Amino acid sequence: MWRGLWTLVTRAAHGPRSPRSCMRQASGAPAPGSGATIFALSSGQGRCGIAVIRTSGPASGHALRSLTAPRDVPPPRSACLRLLSDPRTGEPLDRALVLWFPGPQSFTGEDCAEFHVHGGPAVVSGVLQALGSVPGLRPAEAGEFTRRAFAHGKLSLTEVEGLADLIHAETEAQRRQALRQLDGELGHLCRSWAETLTKALAHVEAYIDFGEDDNLEEGVLERADSEVRELEVALGAHLRDARRGQRLRSGAHVVVAGPPNAGKSSLVNLLSRKPVSIVSPEPGTTRDVLETPVDLAGFPALLSDTAGLREGVGPVEQEGVRRARERLEQADLILAVLDASDLASPYSCNFLDTVVTPAGAQSPNGSSQRLLLVLNKSDLLLPGGPEPSPDVPPHLLLSCLTGEGLDGLLEALRKELAEVCGDPATGPPLLTRARHQHHLQSCLDALGLYKQAKDLALAAEALRVARGHLTRLTGGGGTEEILDLIFRDFCVGK
Amino acid sequence: MFSFRGCGRWVAASLTKQHPPSARLSGENAAPGTPRFDVVVVGGGHAGAEAAAAAARCGSRTLLLTHRADAIGQMSCNPSFGGIGKGHLMREVDALDGLCCRICDQSGVHYKVLNRRKGPAVWGLRAQIDRKLYKQNMQKEILNTPLLTVQEGAVEDLILTEPEPEHTGKCRVHGVVLVDGSTVFAESVILTTGTFLRGVMVIGLEMHPAGRLGDQPSIGLAQTLERLGFVVGRLKTGTPPRIAKESINFSILNKQTPDNPPTPFSFIHETVWIKPEDQLPCYLTHTNPRVDEIVLQNLHLNSHVKETTRGPRYCPSIESKVLRFPNRLHQVWLEPEGLDSGLIYPQGLSVTLPAELQEKMITCIRGLEKAKMVQPGYGVQYDYLDPRQITPSLETHLVQRLFFAGQINGTTGYEEAAAQGVIAGINASLRVRRQPPFIISRTEGYIGVLIDDLTTLGTNEPYRMFTSRAEFRLSLRPDNADSRLTFRGYKEAGCVSQQRYERASWMKSSLEEGISVLKSIEFSSSKWKKLIPEASISVSKSLPLRALDVLKYEEVDMEVLAKAIPEPLKKYTECRELAKRLKIEDWGCE
Repeated sequence: MWRGLWTLVTRAAHGPRSPRSCMRQASGAPAPGSGATIFALSSGQGRCGIAVIRTSGPASGHALRSLTAPRDVPPPRSACLRLLSDPRTGEPLDRALVLWFPGPQSFTGEDCAEFHVHGGPAVVSGVLQALGSVPGLRPAEAGEFTRRAFAHGKLSLTEVEGLADLIHAETEAQRRQALRQLDGELGHLCRSWAETLTKALAHVEAYIDFGEDDNLEEGVLERADSEVRELEVALGAHLRDARRGQRLRSGAHVVVAGPPNAGKSSLVNLLSRKPVSIVSPEPGTTRDVLETPVDLAGFPALLSDTAGLREGVGPVEQEGVRRARERLEQADLILAVLDASDLASPYSCNFLDTVVTPAGAQSPNGSSQRLLLVLNKSDLLLPGGPEPSPDVPPHLLLSCLTGEGLDGLLEALRKELAEVCGDPATGPPLLTRARHQHHLQSCLDALGLYKQAKDLALAAEALRVARGHLTRLTGGGGTEEILDLIFRDFCVGK
Repeated sequence: MFSFRGCGRWVAASLTKQHPPSARLSGENAAPGTPRFDVVVVGGGHAGAEAAAAAARCGSRTLLLTHRADAIGQMSCNPSFGGIGKGHLMREVDALDGLCCRICDQSGVHYKVLNRRKGPAVWGLRAQIDRKLYKQNMQKEILNTPLLTVQEGAVEDLILTEPEPEHTGKCRVHGVVLVDGSTVFAESVILTTGTFLRGVMVIGLEMHPAGRLGDQPSIGLAQTLERLGFVVGRLKTGTPPRIAKESINFSILNKQTPDNPPTPFSFIHETVWIKPEDQLPCYLTHTNPRVDEIVLQNLHLNSHVKETTRGPRYCPSIESKVLRFPNRLHQVWLEPEGLDSGLIYPQGLSVTLPAELQEKMITCIRGLEKAKMVQPGYGVQYDYLDPRQITPSLETHLVQRLFFAGQINGTTGYEEAAAQGVIAGINASLRVRRQPPFIISRTEGYIGVLIDDLTTLGTNEPYRMFTSRAEFRLSLRPDNADSRLTFRGYKEAGCVSQQRYERASWMKSSLEEGISVLKSIEFSSSKWKKLIPEASISVSKSLPLRALDVLKYEEVDMEVLAKAIPEPLKKYTECRELAKRLKIEDWGCE
C-alpha cells in the first residue's frame, strides 16, 4: 500500500520547480542538495498514534504555509496546533501539531518543517500527497535528511554513524553509546589525533617546500618525529580497547555450558523469557547449538545453549559436544551451569577441571575469557543443609524452577557484560564500528612506515596516508589545512 | 600537424606594428581589411607567450597582441625560474613542448637543483636567469614560430556574437577591438593580461595607474569583463628595490655556488649553454632589528601594507614579515640579474615604503652599508577574475571560446603562468578544430593540480604551486613528466614536435627494457656482496636477489651495477639521464 502511494506522490512532485531553485541552478552555484526541498514520513511506517512528517529545503516555509493556510508560519521552534488542509482543494486533512525550524538552526541546516499528524494511513497519505503537490517539493531518498545535515556541516561522519546506531539502538546501553557518539566524542578524539598528525605533516611539508632557502627554525623534523611517536602510543592504546565497542553494537557472545542435565536450557529459557530450548529431565536433550539474541541487564547479547559436555555417546551427540567446545572458545562470557545437588558426579568434576578452572587462570595471550559459575537446582538442596563443597570456585546459587537467585545472577551478568562490552557511561569512547578500527589500525601501520622511509618525500607520503585514514573518520583533510599551518608557524617565502 | 612545422611552407612570423599581413585574410562577413585569425592571444607575458606558441604548434593561425613587442619574455619580478613545485610545473610545460625550459637552458647564469637530499619526487630545478638573454631568446623563438604573428596594440573590448547552441555560455567571443578602434576577428581569444587589469602601482602613499613599471593599465577591458558578469576580485603583490652591484661588499657575505655540472631544464637538452665555471654566485645576508624599526616606525607612510587586499602569504613583503614574525632575522638573497648587468636583486626585500626610506633600510643591512638603490621596490594591486568561472580547459563558462591564463586567474609566478598558457593555447586551438578539450587531471601532473585547485576552489590570495598541494607527489616527479604528458600532447593536442616525441618514446622503451633486464639478473646475496662490496647487502638472506633489488640500496646506482656486471648493463649507463631515471624508478617502489 505504501509503495503505491509513493509513486503517486513522486508524480505529483514532478510539477514546476520553485522559482528559487531554478535561480540557484542557473547561477551554477554548487549548493549541496541543489535547492530541492525534500519531504518524508520520518516516524515508523504502519498504523500508530502519531506520525511525524518532515520537510527540508528552501520551500519548507512555503509548504508549511500552503498546508496551514490562511494562518501564517508559527514562531520558530515552538509547537502550534494547526488545521492542515489540501492546498489544491481546501479539503481538511487533520488537526496537527506543526513546528517551524528556519535554517541554519535546524537538523539539516536548511529550513525545516515538521507535521505531527494522527497516525492513520489515510491521514498520512493525504498529507504526503498534499506536500507532493506543492511546487519544488519531492520525496526524500533514503538517508537524504542525514546526508544534508552532513553536507551542511551539522553532523560529522562519526556523528552520522552514531545517529544510525541511535535509530537502531535496541537496548538501553546501545542507546547511550549511540548518544555519546552522536555528541561527537569519538569524533573529538579522532579530530585531536588528526590535528596532531596534520601539524606533524605540515612541518615535514614545510621542510620539503621551504627548507632549502628559507630559514625555518631548528628542530622542525625532530618535533614532527616526536609528535608521531606520541600519536603511535595513543593509537596503540586505544586499539587494544577496540573489540569492546564492537561487542556492544553486535552483542556479546554468552555461551551457556555445563555437563548434561544441569539445567542449561532452563537457564536459557529463563534469561530470554521465551521457550528457546526444549527442556526435559533426560540428559542430552540439547544436541546442537541454539542461539538467541537477548537483552541481558541492558546489554545486547547472543545467548547460546549448548549440548551437555560428556564423552562416549552416539555420533550425533558427539558432534553436538564438539560444537559446544568450539563455541566455548569463541565466547566472550561463559555461563557455566552445574547441578548443585550433583557436584560430586564425574561429569561435574570433569567440567570443573576442564572448563571452569582453566578459565579462572589468566590465559597466556591476555585475552579476557570471563566465566560465571552458576549452581542450578538450589531448590533441591536441603534447607539449612551443608553448603556445596568448599572446593567449588566462587559461584551463584540459582533455581530455574523457582526463580530464586535470578536477581543476583542478573546483577553479576550486568557487571561482567559491562567489562566485556565496556560501560558506555564511563571510560574512553569505544570503537563501535569495524570501519573505525580499520582506519585507526591503518593509520598506525602508516606511522610505522614513516620511521622506515628512505627519504623525506617517502616519509611525508606515509604521514599523508596516515592522515587520510584519520580524516576518513573525521572529515576534512584537504591540503589547504596543511598550507594554513605552514604559513601560521613559519615565516617562509622570499 | 607536425608536417606544418619545418616544411617551410609557412612564412615565419613577422613583427608588424598594427599592419597585419592582409594576404592571409578572408573577407567573408567582415569589413574589408579586417584581419582574421584562429586564435588571438592578448598579452605577451609568460602566459601569453606560451599560449601563442602552443596554439601555433597545434596548427592554428595565431596573433599575439601586446602593448610592446619588445617586452615579450620580460621577467618583471625575480631574475630566476623554477624551484620546488615550480620546477615541476616547468618540466610539464616542457613535456608539452612549451618554451620556458628551453629558453632557461639558453639564458641561465646559476643553475641549482634544490632538495637533492630529500628524494627525487621533490627535487626542485632552479636557475638564476639573465633577464636580457631570456627576453632576447624568447623573442627570437616567438618571432620564428611558424603560423604566429605578433602585433602591438592595446585591447579595449571584445567582439561578441550568438552562442553555439551545443555549448553552455551566454555568448561567443568573435574577436577583439583595439584602443585605436580597429578590430581583429578570432575563432578563440585568450586573455593573459597579468597585472594590467586596473593595475595600480604603489610606493609609499603614492599610487599610479600602471600594469608594470612604465606600462599603462587596461581599464576598458576590465570594464568589459565586469559588464559581461564576471566576478572580479583584487590582489596585490610587490617587488623589491634593485641595487647597484659595485656598491655591495660581497666579501663579508655567505656565497652560494651553483651546481657543477648544471642540470638542464628541458628533456631535449643534454647540457646548458653556459660553461659550469662561468656561472655567477649568489650571496646571502640577513635583516636585523634596525630594519624592523624602520618598517614599524613608518607604517603610516605605507598604504600598500594597510590595504585589505590579499597578498601572497609565501612571498611576503618585508613589512608583513616584520609584522607577523617580529624579532627575527629574515634572509635576503642577493641575486645577479645577468652576466653583464650591474644590478642585484635582493630576494626577500619586497617593500613599498617611500623610496628614501627604502634606501635607508637597505643601508643598515650587512654588506649593503654603502649600497646604492637604482630602482625602488613597489607594490602592484590588480584585478583578477574568480577562476571558478573557467572550466578545466581554461575556457570561461560565461563566454564561449574566451580563455583566461596567468595572473588574471589569481596565480603568481612565471611558471604558474606558463603552465596555464600552454593549456589555454592548446585548448583554444582544439576548440577551433572542434576537438575535445585537453585536460590534465590531478593524478597526471602539477598542471592538473593547479587548474583543478583554481577552477574548483578558487583562490583569495595569489596562488603559487607547492609540492604539498599534489596528492600524488611520489608519481608526479620532475624526471617523468615526459612519460606522463608528452605522448598525450602529441596524440591528442598535436602540440609536440616529432623530435621530442621520438626522444620520449626512446626513453620510455629503454626504461621498460632496462627494468626487465634488471629483474632478470639474479644472484645469491653473498655473490652480490662479493660483486659490490661497498653495498650494505645482508648476506644472511637466503633468497636470491635481483639486480633490481640491489639497485634500491642507497649506495648503488647504475654505474656501480654496470661495473660489476658490464654485460648486459653497460649500455644502460651510456645515456646519463637513462641511468639516473632507472635508479629513480626503482627507488620508491617496495
